Amino acid sequence: MSAFYVTIIHRPEMVPEYIQKGAEEGKQEDLTRSTVIQESLDIFRTQQRVAHENGLRTTIQMTYASLFNQEAVAIAKEHHEKYGDEIGSTFLGLQCQPFRDKFKSKELAIWLFAMEDKRKIVDEVIGKFYEVFGFYPTSTGSYYMDAELVNYIKEKYPMIKAAVATCWEEGPKAYWNANNSWYTLLDGGPWNPWIPSKRNIHCPASDEQDDIGIVAIPHLSRDLLAVFDGPGSYYGTHPQNILRGMVYEDREIPYFKNIVDQYRSMVKYNRGYAYNMMFVGPGWMSKTGRWEAAYDFLLKSYKEGMAYYGQLKKEGKAQDVTMSEFADIYRKDRPYTRPECTLWKDILYGSRRQQFWYADPWMRFCLDMNQGGAMIDLRPYAAKLVRPCGVGTTCNQDASYPFLVQSLYRAGYFTHYAGEGAVKSCKFGHQGEQVDLCACRTLASFSEEDDTRIVTLDPVDIEFAGFTISVQSVFRLTEGTGDIEIVRKILSTTDPEAEVTIDEYITACYGTTEYPEDLTGVKLSVKGASGTEAIEYAYKCRETEISGVTLAEALVPQVDTRLTMRTDTDEASGYFREGFAFSPMYTLGIKKTIKGKGELRTWLKVERAN
Amino acid sequence: MAQGRKGKLNYRCPRCLMREIDMDMLYDRDKDEYYCLRCSFTGNEQEVLRLNAQFRDKYRDRLKRITDF
Repeated sequence: MSAFYVTIIHRPEMVPEYIQKGAEEGKQEDLTRSTVIQESLDIFRTQQRVAHENGLRTTIQMTYASLFNQEAVAIAKEHHEKYGDEIGSTFLGLQCQPFRDKFKSKELAIWLFAMEDKRKIVDEVIGKFYEVFGFYPTSTGSYYMDAELVNYIKEKYPMIKAAVATCWEEGPKAYWNANNSWYTLLDGGPWNPWIPSKRNIHCPASDEQDDIGIVAIPHLSRDLLAVFDGPGSYYGTHPQNILRGMVYEDREIPYFKNIVDQYRSMVKYNRGYAYNMMFVGPGWMSKTGRWEAAYDFLLKSYKEGMAYYGQLKKEGKAQDVTMSEFADIYRKDRPYTRPECTLWKDILYGSRRQQFWYADPWMRFCLDMNQGGAMIDLRPYAAKLVRPCGVGTTCNQDASYPFLVQSLYRAGYFTHYAGEGAVKSCKFGHQGEQVDLCACRTLASFSEEDDTRIVTLDPVDIEFAGFTISVQSVFRLTEGTGDIEIVRKILSTTDPEAEVTIDEYITACYGTTEYPEDLTGVKLSVKGASGTEAIEYAYKCRETEISGVTLAEALVPQVDTRLTMRTDTDEASGYFREGFAFSPMYTLGIKKTIKGKGELRTWLKVERAN
Repeated sequence: MAQGRKGKLNYRCPRCLMREIDMDMLYDRDKDEYYCLRCSFTGNEQEVLRLNAQFRDKYRDRLKRITDF
């Protein structure tokens, strides 16, 4: 693969979730009201027209409600014939009178139904699709498609090969942003397409046996920096989301093109391949406007976004593909072990900040150059946690994939006076002075050596009383190993006789939200020249350090994860540190003392515990 | 007091927006002011627009076309 692929998706919703409420204000609920349906169809027609005017084909995802509308069906058939648009299915837009009559529910989220209901709804939606079109869809989607749901779909309808399966980092932040009333708690997945595991949709499959059978596409292509610390629905390839975030001035929106271009640049990191998807639901182009934006501005932003993709296509810089076409392309040249990565730069706040995002079948993580390359997010994909969601499950609405480190939900480097926060970093010490790389802002570059991706940080100066050292961090990621190799080098020192201790550490926990979880039962151990020391976590603030470390380990049974650190030198010591109730964290570390120049090389790994 | 209604545009509360909460406001026709059910903000349209402009200030690159990646 060597190209920038774009998928444009439209869905005819008869009662868009966003305009439904406004349209019904002060009126008795009536999901069949013709004015609402007509407006929604008008929007769908407009979206289709704008795409076609720009020479772009689309994937039309038919909602269940639209399958009962002859006009919507006729448009889909006509555009399939005339423009080559794909007709797919979606589990968004379920609500309509036939659905209520059949399922007696106002639930709108397919992933939140009980499993028994999910099966019935799948059969009803796909069955109705077949009845209307005479063939089965090959693509589907929702805001979230849990693995259990997709496994059932694949069992019954094996022709389905693509699905919109998550919204990237739409979790607690999206919930807060929507006044704690939008239940898309889906943090922790990849930001670009992937082949999911049968066990958990967030995790890339490890091999053919683990392959769930679809190519998953995230709902929109999001700003990887802004969305990590902000609402997903402000910053992505969704022009009206950008208006929601108010990232414009005088109705000019260069930010949209900046996101697209940054995604295009991902060919540098991913063997010549880059991807974008744009999926604007009709409610976002309501004739009555959307929040501060009147209809003409909503339309303008949509037209401009589509025009940019059209321009790129005309210039030979983009290929428009339907969902199913993309799935075929994606699978052609894609070993399961291949990571997705990118060195994302700030295009919004004017900070020059960079973050490196990485995902493969073992893990997802993020390095923040604003904090000296500190790891601020770590998800143990290797555990492939079976974690069903929806009514009747213990997770219920919480469909996120758990983290071990999430520095925004769990403090990171900066805490309020006491305790520690979740982060992986390195400290440099000399005679009681200690400097954490989290306090050393820098930039990074990306390179490759065969199957090893390398992130090299610009050196930073660390000042101790009386001398200064220059330190460089290098992260090496060899495909297929699940290891993160971390090198901390002292490149130079103004006092060659001064001894400096390099302390590579990870302070972690687990969870899916900002609130602490119970760490009781986590096993911490360290193996070294003199044997093994181990404890079970009990908030007792215990610490152990052993020389000649061979392995420092945390077993976290709550997320079936084994987290380890090792080194290649016998001159290092290793330690673990238990937390306490006001600091519910555990820390693993490896330390080495160096005189003058030198380095410490360590490996971090996450594995399934059982 | 008058019944709160939707205004001509569906403004969000600018104070809640500052903390990234999208909270629709209601409009009081008698007083010609918007008000928030959550944070107690009150203000006319001009005040809402002033604060919205302030919200956008954090996006220093909002008008910059960036092509160097």
